[in-house]
Amino acid sequence: MSFLFGNRNNKTFKPKKNIPEGTHQYDLMQHAAVTLGSGNLRLAVMLPEGEDQNEWVAVNTVDFFNQINMLYGTITEFCTEETCPVMSAGPKYEYHWADGQAVKKPIKCSAPKYIDYLMSWVQDQLDDEQLFPSKIGVPFPRNFLSIAKTILKRLFRVYAHIYHQHFKEVMQLSEEAHLNTSFKHFIYFVQEFDLIERRELAPLQELIDKLTSKDR
Amino acid sequence: KEILRRDSSVRNYSPQAYKFYMEQHVENLIKNYTQRQTRKLQLEKELAKTSLSADAQLQMRRMLQQKESNYIRMKRSKMNKDMFERI
Ligand SMILES: [Zn+2]
Repeated sequence: MSFLFGNRNNKTFKPKKNIPEGTHQYDLMQHAAVTLGSGNLRLAVMLPEGEDQNEWVAVNTVDFFNQINMLYGTITEFCTEETCPVMSAGPKYEYHWADGQAVKKPIKCSAPKYIDYLMSWVQDQLDDEQLFPSKIGVPFPRNFLSIAKTILKRLFRVYAHIYHQHFKEVMQLSEEAHLNTSFKHFIYFVQEFDLIERRELAPLQELIDKLTSKDR
Repeated sequence: KEILRRDSSVRNYSPQAYKFYMEQHVENLIKNYTQRQTRKLQLEKELAKTSLSADAQLQMRRMLQQKESNYIRMKRSKMNKDMFERI
């Protein structure tokens, strides 16, 4: 399956030049980096002694998918063809959908459609016994880590869209601490195992710095 | 070409359900971490009391690690399959 996840040169990610930093939504979230009171998540993401790294990455990837799926499920009524005609993360970043298999040529589509493709694609990967074996004793494929990286890279875009385009609604629903905690956990995890390239994280870099500065 | 799926993975969730889930989840993350540490320490304590050879002790440690590993695999398949049936 490696051809699916090899280095396509990132045509689905389109940073735009010459647009000033920061939108209203983004300013909003910068001022609301509250999290759920909790113990040290940084420790909780570390690979337990003697654990297989693939197993650890797998269980956490499924976990993040679940969290993001539920989160997005709370704001679907605000994320429509009308409100979000393109999948974006602020004015500087736009995403076009391609999965390298059914959709090879990136398509420009609305955020709800993009996220629908994305979540369905991730679900398919997680359900694939060849990629995410669920029976005891069945090994992971050799390219497991690169598969997980692609999944996490794509899941990040849902966070990025929600933060940039829907943080107001998140606040209306009083979910900001929950979202921040979920995202912080996600970032700790990808940082611990170096799973997402820095330039992919750019749409939320300031927030990442803010959320992770206190307990570095 | 038809690329739209009928059974979308995206569903509606109530904010209450999401918030409750996240609150439990964060608590569990920390709990899982501490309990796993505790089980390891417990084993070490038990081993210190025995006169097992270094090899046998290593075997015991590996057994616990394997058990932990199997546990997270089972948890993953459960999370994956059941979670979105009904909440
Ligand atoms: Zn949207």
